[in-house]
Amino acid sequence: MTTSGGAAPGTAGTAAGGMTGVPGLAAGRLWAATRFPYLASGLFGAQVIAVHDIGTVAVDDSWRLHADPALTAQWTPAQLGSVLVHHVCHLLRAHAERAASAGVVPDTARLWVRCCDAEINDDLVPAGLELPGSPVLPAHLGAEPGRLAEQYFAAPRPPDVPSGNPEEPDGGRLDCGSGADGLRRPWDSGGPAGLPPWQARLLARQVAQDCLRHGREAGNVPAGLLRWAGDLLEPAVDWRKALAAELRRAVADAAGAVDYSYRRPSRRASVAGDVVLPALRRPVPDIAVVCDTSGSMSDDLLAMALAEVEGLLRAVGLARQLRVLACDTAVGPVRRVSSARQVELVGGGGTDMGAGIAAASSLRPRPAIAVVLTDGFTPWPDEPPRGMRVVVGLLGDDPPEAPDWARAVRVPDG
Amino acid sequence: MKAVGRRTAGAQQHDAAVAALGVAVAARVPVLLWGAPGTGKTSTIRAMAEKMGWPCETVIASIREPSDFAGLPVVVGDGVRFAPPGWARRLAEAGRGLLFLDELSTAPPAVQAALLRVVLERVVGDLALPADVAVVAAANPPEQAADGWDLSAPLANRLCHLAWEIDPGAVADGLAGGWAAPTVPALPDRWEAGIGLARGLVAAFLHVRPALACAPPADAASAGRGWPSPRTWDMAARLLAAVDAAGAGEETRSALVRGCVGEGAGVEFLAWLVEMDLPDPEAVLADPGSFVLPKRGDRAYAAVAAVAAVVAADPTPQRWVAGWQVLGQAAADAPDVAAVAARTLARCRPDGTPPPAEVKLFAPVLRDAGLLGG
Repeated sequence: MTTSGGAAPGTAGTAAGGMTGVPGLAAGRLWAATRFPYLASGLFGAQVIAVHDIGTVAVDDSWRLHADPALTAQWTPAQLGSVLVHHVCHLLRAHAERAASAGVVPDTARLWVRCCDAEINDDLVPAGLELPGSPVLPAHLGAEPGRLAEQYFAAPRPPDVPSGNPEEPDGGRLDCGSGADGLRRPWDSGGPAGLPPWQARLLARQVAQDCLRHGREAGNVPAGLLRWAGDLLEPAVDWRKALAAELRRAVADAAGAVDYSYRRPSRRASVAGDVVLPALRRPVPDIAVVCDTSGSMSDDLLAMALAEVEGLLRAVGLARQLRVLACDTAVGPVRRVSSARQVELVGGGGTDMGAGIAAASSLRPRPAIAVVLTDGFTPWPDEPPRGMRVVVGLLGDDPPEAPDWARAVRVPDG
Repeated sequence: MKAVGRRTAGAQQHDAAVAALGVAVAARVPVLLWGAPGTGKTSTIRAMAEKMGWPCETVIASIREPSDFAGLPVVVGDGVRFAPPGWARRLAEAGRGLLFLDELSTAPPAVQAALLRVVLERVVGDLALPADVAVVAAANPPEQAADGWDLSAPLANRLCHLAWEIDPGAVADGLAGGWAAPTVPALPDRWEAGIGLARGLVAAFLHVRPALACAPPADAASAGRGWPSPRTWDMAARLLAAVDAAGAGEETRSALVRGCVGEGAGVEFLAWLVEMDLPDPEAVLADPGSFVLPKRGDRAYAAVAAVAAVVAADPTPQRWVAGWQVLGQAAADAPDVAAVAARTLARCRPDGTPPPAEVKLFAPVLRDAGLLGG
């Protein structure tokens, strides 16, 4: 049941004497681990292998760094340490994996790596990274700092901004390796085994926990890294997916879509002799959407959520059963709409969603599902409405809790 | 471990999913493959049955009625008998085989409910299938199948969920050289003896994190995947023992554990297992000569930093000197790893304790890094 062992020999075991043949590695790594203590696990977890005549220090997705000793010998410990930090960030931010989803091909790989470099460098260079040459920053791509590589990559580049860094001619650029763009390099196939993917994931989580802890205690972790760590440890749930699942569940439950029931005997029972067959039932549920139109609501967010609800109901073939109520402290007229664009948001002022839910349950035919879109700053009824499932979409950042009897989905801003 | 580092991470994960499928079948734990339509789930499972020479009964859940799984109610005299359908009879007669439930997520909720007993207890109507029948299922994620439902939480909790993601490289290999059928490893006769040990590990972990013993998911989307419950932890323990008995890789073990108890709880358990392998810092201080530096760099760092941290928490002269002895040993193999911890120790020197000889070991590397005097 041991999890270490022979599968992944690391740096420490082979480090005796010549430090794997990469000059200055110990000093460079020590500089990096001292300057960026929250990345120490990652820095020591990456395995450095000396590969002659490749003219670069490159990383691959199994946490191996292939370093040309002739090149690193020219660098100061701070420069080598900075390159290590930079490459560890490529791994932590899963740039190779993201390259595949961003549709990076060999022709665009160079641009992608520059975008990744900008994502890493924009807050680590101010934090004291001393990379050799001139590092790529968002400004070189004509973009605002603090974005993701995908955003830099997709952004249209104005023609007057050269795609290359003027101070750094083509030959001066170092190849970051397959860990940045996901394209295999010749040297990736040699050398000792690296970390298998699951151990790489655990190591990244460890670094993320270190970053968050260090951020709480010492407070000098760059904001970009903190955001990365937070996203990794508590991935944000896509509200569209959550809302879709809640609605599908409500519809499936109320409608049974095509579901089997022994309530009535099957029409085929007469030919089946003694076998009791169930009948198919397909009640079509009516759906009411109660929109909070009080002053505190954001129009854009409400339109987005409403469009999402409508799209989902269209997908399950129930768009025609949709009725929309606008509600603040009083309830506006009911409209049967065929598109989210037809909804006018009247109202303003205070909020009482209890009134909206009561109005929805007094509609005839009574809706089987009520979807309440609100910012949550409202009183709620103590008891669930009878015979009606309620799905609450809580719009905006940091809304208050919805009542226990309703299924809630948070729809954050942006 | 074959040719690691020569394959992409995606290909390794696919290999792990294929191996995990084999181990789960060998351990007779019901397993469910989640993947987009057309990614070869069905053909892989059929090829596996053929390779083993087992009968494979494919039942497409979405076009069946609940009575196909709960048994057809037949009125006999003064009672009702639940007659099993043909596929169940054939499996029972063969005595072993693969029951393959395809399109599980497009099965209506009532059919999913009827499947509950089939999946875990292998009971169809009034017929109990033999213990040697393995249950394998396949499903499309609801967002990829237009008419899909999310799996109900009770059904999801009876299965080990494996992500079936196809790597472009694997597709190219498969088209060129044919698809490799997964091998079901032959487990040694007494492999089930290992389950006790695995259960012990799980139990020790749940003592540390009792909240993870049973944590039904709050939202509907994640209810359709693996989530921690006593049943899934038991399944995970069984699979842990089977993985060890089959000698499968660690990636496979990771996929199976996460498949049973879900991503969050699974990753925490695996991280806890890794931590268990680190030496206990207090034991190391009591006997510095026993310290063995872990091979991997990040674990070496974790072990050495833990020793420095416990010394800093209670810096008696004796502990402080013992700490330096540990670092002195570590410095021989990994001077930079030890030097980071040395800086922690240097800051907590107990009053009146002379600096030990080991301090000199770190001077060169600290000077190179420009940190001496800093």
